[in-house]
Amino acid sequence: MIGYVTRRLLFTAVILLLVSMAVYAIFTFLPFDPAALTCGKNCRPALIEQNRIRLGYDKSIYVQYWYFLRGIFVGRSYGTGGAAFVCGAPSFGYSFRQNQCVTSLLTQALPVTLSLAVGALIFWLVIGVGLGVLAARFKGRWPDTSSSAFVLIGTSLPTFVTGLILLVFVKIKWNLIPFTLDTYTSIFDNPLEFLKIFILPWITLAVAFAAIYTRFTRATVLETLSEDYIRTARAKGLSEKVVLRKHTLRAALAPITTLAGLDFAGLLGGAILTETIFNLPGLGRLALSSVTDFDLPIVVATTLFAAGIVVIMNLIVDLLYAVIDPRVRIA
Amino acid sequence: MNSKPVERKGTMRRRVLAAAAVSALMAGVLTSVGGTAANAASSKPQRGGTLFLLEHNPKLDHIDPNRIYTGRDLDFMNSFVTRTLVAYRPVPGAAGTLLAPDLATNTGIPSNDAKVWKFILRPGTTFEDGHAITCADVAYGTSRSFATDLITDGPTYALQWLDIPKDSNGDSIYKGPYKSDPVGQAAYDKAVTCSKNNRIITFNLNTSVADFNYFATYGAISPVQKSKDNGDQYDVRPQSTGPYKILSNTKQALILVRNSKWKQATDKVRTPYPDRVELRFGLDEQVIDQLILNNSIPGAVNFDAPLPSNLTKFFDASTGEPLPSMKGRALNVSDPYARYYAFNLKKMPCLEVREALYYSRDAKANLDYAGGPLFAGRYATGVISPLLATDFAPTKVAGPGSADFMPSGNVDKAKALLEQAKTVCPAEYKHATQDGIVIDVRQGKTLQDTIPINTQAWARAGIKVSFNIIKSGYYPTVMNPAKQSDLSIAGWGADWANASTVLPQLFIDNGGFDLSQNTADPTYPAFAKAVAVAMKTTNRQDQAKMWKALDVAAMKRFWVLPTIFGKTQLVWGSAVGGGFFWVPQGEPAYGKMWVK
Repeated sequence: MIGYVTRRLLFTAVILLLVSMAVYAIFTFLPFDPAALTCGKNCRPALIEQNRIRLGYDKSIYVQYWYFLRGIFVGRSYGTGGAAFVCGAPSFGYSFRQNQCVTSLLTQALPVTLSLAVGALIFWLVIGVGLGVLAARFKGRWPDTSSSAFVLIGTSLPTFVTGLILLVFVKIKWNLIPFTLDTYTSIFDNPLEFLKIFILPWITLAVAFAAIYTRFTRATVLETLSEDYIRTARAKGLSEKVVLRKHTLRAALAPITTLAGLDFAGLLGGAILTETIFNLPGLGRLALSSVTDFDLPIVVATTLFAAGIVVIMNLIVDLLYAVIDPRVRIA
Repeated sequence: MNSKPVERKGTMRRRVLAAAAVSALMAGVLTSVGGTAANAASSKPQRGGTLFLLEHNPKLDHIDPNRIYTGRDLDFMNSFVTRTLVAYRPVPGAAGTLLAPDLATNTGIPSNDAKVWKFILRPGTTFEDGHAITCADVAYGTSRSFATDLITDGPTYALQWLDIPKDSNGDSIYKGPYKSDPVGQAAYDKAVTCSKNNRIITFNLNTSVADFNYFATYGAISPVQKSKDNGDQYDVRPQSTGPYKILSNTKQALILVRNSKWKQATDKVRTPYPDRVELRFGLDEQVIDQLILNNSIPGAVNFDAPLPSNLTKFFDASTGEPLPSMKGRALNVSDPYARYYAFNLKKMPCLEVREALYYSRDAKANLDYAGGPLFAGRYATGVISPLLATDFAPTKVAGPGSADFMPSGNVDKAKALLEQAKTVCPAEYKHATQDGIVIDVRQGKTLQDTIPINTQAWARAGIKVSFNIIKSGYYPTVMNPAKQSDLSIAGWGADWANASTVLPQLFIDNGGFDLSQNTADPTYPAFAKAVAVAMKTTNRQDQAKMWKALDVAAMKRFWVLPTIFGKTQLVWGSAVGGGFFWVPQGEPAYGKMWVK
């Protein structure tokens, strides 16, 4: 097990290195001049060249990439003279648009996105898997048809519509949940406020994801229920409850875990629409604004972060397989 | 420099001309602005509470006093955090354009034909850490603008006017306080001097500037403590000299609380009512509008303007007046900006083609699309906004009052001009009718609607156009002569109530925003000479006559294609008192608002 994890971690590091190279290369070869973008409106060719040297954009892409990599481990200094400063390790660069170290921006945004993603994941798993199992268990009866209606609605409504409807009606017009301008409070500081802030974003995301998971769970459970070993279990006289819980669900959980892991990773990369509608200053909004502003260091860092999360979640899902399904052995 | 994209409310959903940096200042007399005092007199000012400002964008462009250059951000920061040598009086109407001493005890003392300006500093003023403000702090603060690599986007008048030698490129030899350069520093120290008691600051200028004291309303010549300056990072947390200091500046909000070191006795301008001011970032525009419409947060102000699609929920569609439900908490007013397309004369030297473009454009369709005269503004006649009342007069060359102006386009005239161009400048004629004219535009939500409107309108005269849609770094791109296309969409608001902050900036080579690249135009030398004379003219009425004539001269050569003089809408909640349109900043006077 330890050997497997070590190998996978090494593999993950290699993947991340390759992703970082690709991301860095993509943004370097885009038809934009990063030096020109840092010098505001009063840009003159001489000033652009001055900034190019100051920011290291005059160096070859290999050297720039090396500085970037080195910064992650040892930090990086910027500027000279009275305006010199250091972005400590792990440094993902400096945003000349935001006038802040990128790492500091990421660490501000991460808890928000994490809170959003974890809560939404719990919601959609409970609703999606629960409805899916019910629909499979009562195939062709009202729980099944009702869940189909939910699936239809959930998949038809884009998150920005669900989010706006919930926000405008639940919070603003009906005042069911008092509108608050506080866009992030830690669960440890004020759990009630935390719940007030995140409940609607969670529901927004859960509606979209739970619909897919309902359908997926229903199909997986039905498929498992038709397996020979289930027939054997029933023939042995096991109750339907035990068949469903011990033999069906356990087998059906493996593909659901894979899907959930990847979706969760995707959300951690940033739920741009939901964060924008609910004014949550998370990674998605940070990425969006940096793309709009063409704030290259942030774009590179958020892309790399999202890629890293996907790779790491894959590893976690693989490890979970062994826990969920005893037939899977990791060596 | 002071610029902004041509599209504001109406033509684009974005209300804030964020990346474009603009300041705004307007004018002498508020002849065309209705309802400047919405509820100033409706109740007595109250202390306490929290004033919420709701902003769609994820942050302000800048809060570093040297880098702020938009009217709204100047209004906000200078009302609450940053004190300047001189300030505008925060009162409704034309009186709001008058200057009042702020950190200085006077509004500036000119001498030597306005080439030397002295300001005597008021005693008892401090930074938020209690450090007394001295002349050295003002001199240091001013010096920061010279570090143009780090301290970007702010006004550049200090670089233009302070008597510091220029290098071969025409740039100041002084490069700011962050670089060790004894020669440059010595030159700066000669241009900006302090009295022995550190209470009188003197600015020595390289030219007569009769209205230099208006520049002193900008943070670009305000105090900064050297020991607290951290270069471009100062933009995140500048020190306060005003009644509020920054408690936190995050992705969510810029939160201001009372500055205990500020003393009302030393400040005759500000009357800080709320205990706390919260500028909340990143709210969806639709959500902001709904919050104000439903009065969900009575102490909130929309820091932008309502979405064009929501305007009739706030204002009467037939009169433009606030609906009864919004009485006392909404304003529909003219804004300080003139919008235009700048012709790049290096690529479009043919006057006839430029005129043909002007006459064949469908101004009415564009204005109607943007909300019509009630909400979007009126047809522009030049680059001087009517809010600069002293200097404004319709040019009678373009727009209403001119002989051949037709709102939907004078296609016959345009065709006739193109016929002339065929023989006068055949290459440009071919470029306009066969190759196609390229127009720089900023990426925006309404582009997909306005592009066909304009393409079809110009096609009526046989003019082909294509659009260079710039997704990011619009002004850095179009201001680079190598990258600018044939036309560039732009806009401009005066920095203060004088067209001296309009015509030189837009049409003189070193003005800072000469998108027309007009130096090769045959009339340019005479124009530049006339501008220089106007700049030195201290009799304001005589000077105004000159600006009017120069606006006409620029239009006769069609260095720009003027589009509209814009309007803006401002809305807030029922618990906000003291809301009125502050003419100099083209925004509500946030510093005079209170929470009921």
